[in-house]
Amino acid sequence: MFLVSYEFVLFFAAVLVLYYGVAGRFQWIVLLLSSYLFYAQGGIGYLFYPVFTTVTTWFLAGAIGSMSRKSKAWIKENNPGREEKKEHNRLVKRSQRRIMVLGLVLNFGILAVLKYFNFLLENVNIFLHGAGAEGEFVFVNWLLPLGISYYTFQSMGYLIDVYYRKYEPEKNLARFALFVSFFPQLVAGPISRFEQLKDSLYANHRLQLRNIRLGAERMLWGYFKKLVIADRLGPAVSVIIGDPQTYDGIYVFLGMVGYTLWMYADFAGGIDIVLGAARMLDISLPENFDRPFLSKSLGEFWRRWHMTLMLWLREYIFFPVSTSRLAKSGSKLAGIVSGKKAAGRIPVYMATLTVWFVAGIWHGASWKFAAWGMMNGAVLLISQELTPWYRNFHDAHGFVKTRMYSWFQIVRTFLLFACLEMFEYYSFGRVFFMLRSLVCSSSLSQLGDGRFEALGLKGADLLVLGAGIFAMAGSGFFKDQKSAGEWMEKRPVFARYGLIFGMFLLVLVTGVYGRGYDASQFIYNQF
Amino acid sequence: MEELIEILEEINPETDYAVCRNLVDDGILTSFELVMLVTQINDTFGVSIPPAWIVPENFNSAAAIFEMIQRLEEGE
Amino acid sequence: MKGRTILWFGILLPVSAAVLFLLQRLLVPKYMGRVVEGAFIEEYYDEKSPHDVIILGDCEVYENLSPAVLWREYGITSYIRGSAQQLIPQSYYILEDTLKSETPGAVVVSVSAMQQYEQDNETYNRMTLDGMRWSASKLRSIRATMMEDEHLIEYVFPILRFHSRWRELEEDDFRYFWDRRQVTHSGYYMRADVRPAGEFPAERRRSNYAFDDRAWQYLEKIRLLCQEKGITLILMKAPSLYPAWHEQWEQQIEDYAGQHGLMYVNCIEQKDDIGIDFSTDTYDGGLHMNVYGAEKMSRYFGEIFAQVPGVGNWPEGGSVSEIWEEKCRFYDEMKASQEEEFGRLGYLSQFAGE
Repeated sequence: MFLVSYEFVLFFAAVLVLYYGVAGRFQWIVLLLSSYLFYAQGGIGYLFYPVFTTVTTWFLAGAIGSMSRKSKAWIKENNPGREEKKEHNRLVKRSQRRIMVLGLVLNFGILAVLKYFNFLLENVNIFLHGAGAEGEFVFVNWLLPLGISYYTFQSMGYLIDVYYRKYEPEKNLARFALFVSFFPQLVAGPISRFEQLKDSLYANHRLQLRNIRLGAERMLWGYFKKLVIADRLGPAVSVIIGDPQTYDGIYVFLGMVGYTLWMYADFAGGIDIVLGAARMLDISLPENFDRPFLSKSLGEFWRRWHMTLMLWLREYIFFPVSTSRLAKSGSKLAGIVSGKKAAGRIPVYMATLTVWFVAGIWHGASWKFAAWGMMNGAVLLISQELTPWYRNFHDAHGFVKTRMYSWFQIVRTFLLFACLEMFEYYSFGRVFFMLRSLVCSSSLSQLGDGRFEALGLKGADLLVLGAGIFAMAGSGFFKDQKSAGEWMEKRPVFARYGLIFGMFLLVLVTGVYGRGYDASQFIYNQF
Repeated sequence: MEELIEILEEINPETDYAVCRNLVDDGILTSFELVMLVTQINDTFGVSIPPAWIVPENFNSAAAIFEMIQRLEEGE
Repeated sequence: MKGRTILWFGILLPVSAAVLFLLQRLLVPKYMGRVVEGAFIEEYYDEKSPHDVIILGDCEVYENLSPAVLWREYGITSYIRGSAQQLIPQSYYILEDTLKSETPGAVVVSVSAMQQYEQDNETYNRMTLDGMRWSASKLRSIRATMMEDEHLIEYVFPILRFHSRWRELEEDDFRYFWDRRQVTHSGYYMRADVRPAGEFPAERRRSNYAFDDRAWQYLEKIRLLCQEKGITLILMKAPSLYPAWHEQWEQQIEDYAGQHGLMYVNCIEQKDDIGIDFSTDTYDGGLHMNVYGAEKMSRYFGEIFAQVPGVGNWPEGGSVSEIWEEKCRFYDEMKASQEEEFGRLGYLSQFAGE
């Protein structure tokens, strides 16, 4: 059962009724049971994974928490001297760190085995083959549980926060289980943080029509992005990027722009559905996109695209790596060898490349994704190095303050991102080859040579697609969800209803779902 | 404090650090710049900032950063 | 609060429901062109005449018996509730549905569907099920025969299934928006073109000739329902040359009929008695009868139906007779027009490219 299915819509409607039907203090229990039911749809065996993560994380975080409490009590009771206190803290921290590492190893271990074991085997096979070996390892077909990357990251964030003593661990195992497996966000994120989510997750919620309305509006908008745009664009883009031999020249450009828009419509649409559903339950999840295509630089783009993952990586990988002992000694060494500037760079470079390697393989277990991550990291570092040059340039030229220049930056960032996305779907070497083809042998006449027709987008589809993308871009005029909601609320009731109902009809009719109607199916044969 | 301002201006010279109170929240200090800042503070003041302390509240203004350094120096 | 309630329940909801209803009506296929089989099941509900005989099954019934001839030559009123690849469970639920409004003297069931219990083409399901009026029978029929990737809700709201037709709406969708044209003659699908029987691939051996248990269960349900209502049940196998009707299948049906004292007519065996000439009586080379074959079949079955107690004997000049005179007129008209066109062109333009 995924977010886009009749089952999900019916299931969610039933959950809503039950949720607002029971007494407030049982609401979170309804959510927990629904989440497990949702998860068990694919087979009861799948429940093992989130339950394992829940139990281990809860138990280990609890252990860390009780050590912190005992340590505080000991300090209060014995009032040790400064040195003694330092030593005590060091010892406590050390055992706590061991517990945390155990939790990280267990949970990331499962994730690594499930997601990356076959990737590893593939490489071992290539290596063996290269060494002249005959046989090869057979891939293992794991039951890959739904959303495992999301809930593992979310739970590990919690464990690390408890270790950092940002907040007390949750005492109730069942309540913690809900945090791990809360069903709307389980499939596609966002990756929430415990201290932000806990209040609304466990609170009593009264039925408010406004939440229902705003949530439903947002879900509808999400379905629009997903069904009308993404699922229409996806198959055509897949044809282009899957056959680079045929689709060269201008099609490289179409593929790159199409792929980027497809990713966005698909992912942001899914997030709208999740956040809308949560809103209907009166639970606020963090936003995951902040109009990324209005960014003026790649760095800014990554602060506005898949925000919760990027924040996670920043907090739990970027900062820890850059302040790690290794980074510090590297920095010292560089300082001695080639001066202060180099010393400052070492931690940044180390942390950036680590983050982007993780981000790469987070998106997919293959060298393509790793390459994509590293290229993103490289571009970000290069633009960081160019910052002083940019500043000089901006100071020297007045036109950079004009609106035209802003739009130039926005388009440039979009194209840069789209260009980097090529590393996700072409092999490393081919990217440059295709770029050359794009630059050297593109012409508009290629659009009329029959290759376009093979993409399966007919005139009416193109029209809907164009209008859909236009609407999606238009929604960028709203600063955020809140202002979009407020704008809607200021419309007269008929206009508002007309807009929503019109959107509903659009999704209903032009959405790509179900069995396509193919008149040739109706040709009469035999019976 | 002066040393700190000096470091900050070296990293990003376009901001008035006496006034600005939203260095992180407004994206004036990016992650890169935060790490550079942390490294330099480490070198200059001889305190090491644990990753858990790299949060907006500690870095949103020069004053906040300075206060954090003092807390670290006291060995909390 | 009150104003709001009126706004919602008095204006917005009814208007929205109406819009959705109209949109759905526009988008569902009308089955008025080359493929008319999807319109058959629904047409029954316009019937004004009571029926002596109800005939259930797939194309082996709706192309092989002519109710007009049964009326004209035997004074028997009949209706074929047939549809493309109608499965045995679907026949059962259509019977249930029919018995809600009338009780015929005889029911004929085509047994060719026994060879296949599960639907293999969603299109046929839609053509059989969408035409049924909503009732518990329809619901149960859907649940019993839906393919794995079909959804009940797509039957409740067919727009969910047919929404993508917005790109290929045609003139027929507007012309037949409200009213459909009548396409059958009491369920009979007329074809006056001729294509003599040709060669067919050799009979393929099967590993298992036993009919599916579930198909048997539904045949048994049909039998029991007829028994309960005092209806004479007749089983038939149509005279088609292909696909093969295996001897082993024949044996199972004969045994079943013998065991329950049912009449079973295998028209392949009786084809000489019926007088079928496969060089003139089929329109698709021996799979199905054309109107000439169907008329011969009707004469053969007319004799059988006439023996069933309570069948026929409608008063002359009564309302039933009037309805059937009109039906016969429509029948003759279409037959003449198809004959003329076939004589002129050598094919029927409505079905060109079939």
